[in-house]
Amino acid sequence: MKETKESSRRKFIKSAGIALAGLTLLGGGIGYYKSVDGPKFTRKPNFLRPPGAIDEETFVYACIKCGLCVQICPVEAIKLADINKGLNYGTPYIDVREQACDFSCDSLQCVETCPTAVLNFKPFEIAGGNAIKKYYKEHKATNPGFNPFSVQIVAMKSRVRMGKATINKETCLAYHNKGFNGRPRGKNFKGIYRSPNSQTGKPAPLSEKIFDRKICNLCVTECPIGDKAIVMLASGKEAKLRPQVLDGCTGCGVCVMVCPTQQASIIVEPIEEDNHV
Amino acid sequence: MFNNPKKKSPLPAKSLKKMPHYKAGITYKEWHKPKPETNKWRNIRWSVLIAVNGLFVVSYLFGLSILEGSLSGSRALGFYLIDTYNALQVIIISLFDGHFAALTINFWIGFSTILILSVFGGRTYCSWVCPYHLLAEFAEKLHNYFVKKKKIKEHTYSIYLRFVFWIGFLFVALFTKNIVFEDINPVGIISRSLIYGPSLLLLWIGALLLFEIAYSKRFWCRYACPVGATWAITGKIAMLDVKFDLDKCGYCRDCQEVCLVPHTLWFVEKGKATQEVHFTDSDCTRCGLCIDICSGNALNFTIKGMDKI
Repeated sequence: MKETKESSRRKFIKSAGIALAGLTLLGGGIGYYKSVDGPKFTRKPNFLRPPGAIDEETFVYACIKCGLCVQICPVEAIKLADINKGLNYGTPYIDVREQACDFSCDSLQCVETCPTAVLNFKPFEIAGGNAIKKYYKEHKATNPGFNPFSVQIVAMKSRVRMGKATINKETCLAYHNKGFNGRPRGKNFKGIYRSPNSQTGKPAPLSEKIFDRKICNLCVTECPIGDKAIVMLASGKEAKLRPQVLDGCTGCGVCVMVCPTQQASIIVEPIEEDNHV
Repeated sequence: MFNNPKKKSPLPAKSLKKMPHYKAGITYKEWHKPKPETNKWRNIRWSVLIAVNGLFVVSYLFGLSILEGSLSGSRALGFYLIDTYNALQVIIISLFDGHFAALTINFWIGFSTILILSVFGGRTYCSWVCPYHLLAEFAEKLHNYFVKKKKIKEHTYSIYLRFVFWIGFLFVALFTKNIVFEDINPVGIISRSLIYGPSLLLLWIGALLLFEIAYSKRFWCRYACPVGATWAITGKIAMLDVKFDLDKCGYCRDCQEVCLVPHTLWFVEKGKATQEVHFTDSDCTRCGLCIDICSGNALNFTIKGMDKI
């Protein structure tokens, strides 16, 4: 059949109509889906966006799903969501119960590598810069051995707000005055992290570590942020030591990963910090 | 380039004396005898395609900084590359939504690098890099086989449909504030599945391939894919092209038979060519199949403007 100009134009209009209808359906469908579930749908405990994530609504469209943050993470905490995860397909998330962010990259590489700034590096850059300035102000005679990097990284990781940890007092061992002895997550657990007491300074498998505590305080001793984030405080009538989450908590989730109870007795709930600057 | 050769009046069909077999002093059959199947360009192209996608996988597996990321955005030896259509959607939504100023310098470097590359090579990306293309090539072979056996009928649409999708997906992105296209983009889905592990969306890729085998040949690449359409738009002024010498052509049309986008080879038909030398247009994916099959070596890769230097 020979195609004339007229017939090919009619063909185009017909298929364009079908295409437009398809696009409208698709667009409407996604729009409806988003209005029903909204960003809140994605904000479930222990499912966090990587450090520096901007508000969820912007995150969803500005993330180009390249996976550079996934590649750069030394402990492989970041994964890309499949469609059955309740997150936007291809966007990065951290399941802290399986593998928490332990800051062992020391420089928030995932944030720095993000090309569309959905993981926004600006706040960290500013926090790091200010910390160095402050250090020099306080130590007027410049210390020749001073490495600004160490001050900078502490300031940068303290600025992270992926979420905030909350303790489940019903199941927490410490709240029942129980200790813990053994491997917190069993021999086959795959997660790794850098312990603050680590000799090597490198991430090591949690399954290799055996703890022995009279009162369980793993979440406190293993926290990469330290006593600004979580401490053992004497509370209650008997003044027993119990873990308390403080305002310095970054939501990195190491506490969730190391928690030895069947269901983690500490969870990280996402908070939406405004990381636009 | 703005002088459309299609609109010129065609040159008269060549007389017998001007046919390549006559000039060589052999019969047409001898001239047109099937070439030993070298498939030179096809083999090179498949190797490049597999190597590029393999490099992504290897870089991730062994933590090398050779080619990180995926086909929607990557870093080659530390140098950012961002898929243009993907970037375009982000730019458009963020222009209206205020994220625009936050986009990093690396984003703009990656975006403009790919733009410059596409001005050089046009749709070369499609057949030399895109992993879906390779699958669709096999699907096309199957489809052709079934058509030949008269098991199925051919269904074609207008090739301008791509631009409806191209604009349409931009609007959908803008209205839903979501890069909806990325959820169905076979390039991204396959690339991500290869690198970061299989996704459930591979089922959609399977369905798409089945549709292409059973109903409409190369439906996605020809009529839908806005990624390819972006390359075709910028490829209007591409330098790398397939050059056609009317002088060496024997009107056998083998090249059209194997071509993945046959409408770009409109000038090989008898009495259609309007110039002694033609270049394929922006839809050509520079796959080289026509070059491999041509009996008279009338088709060749060329970089336009190189002869002037």
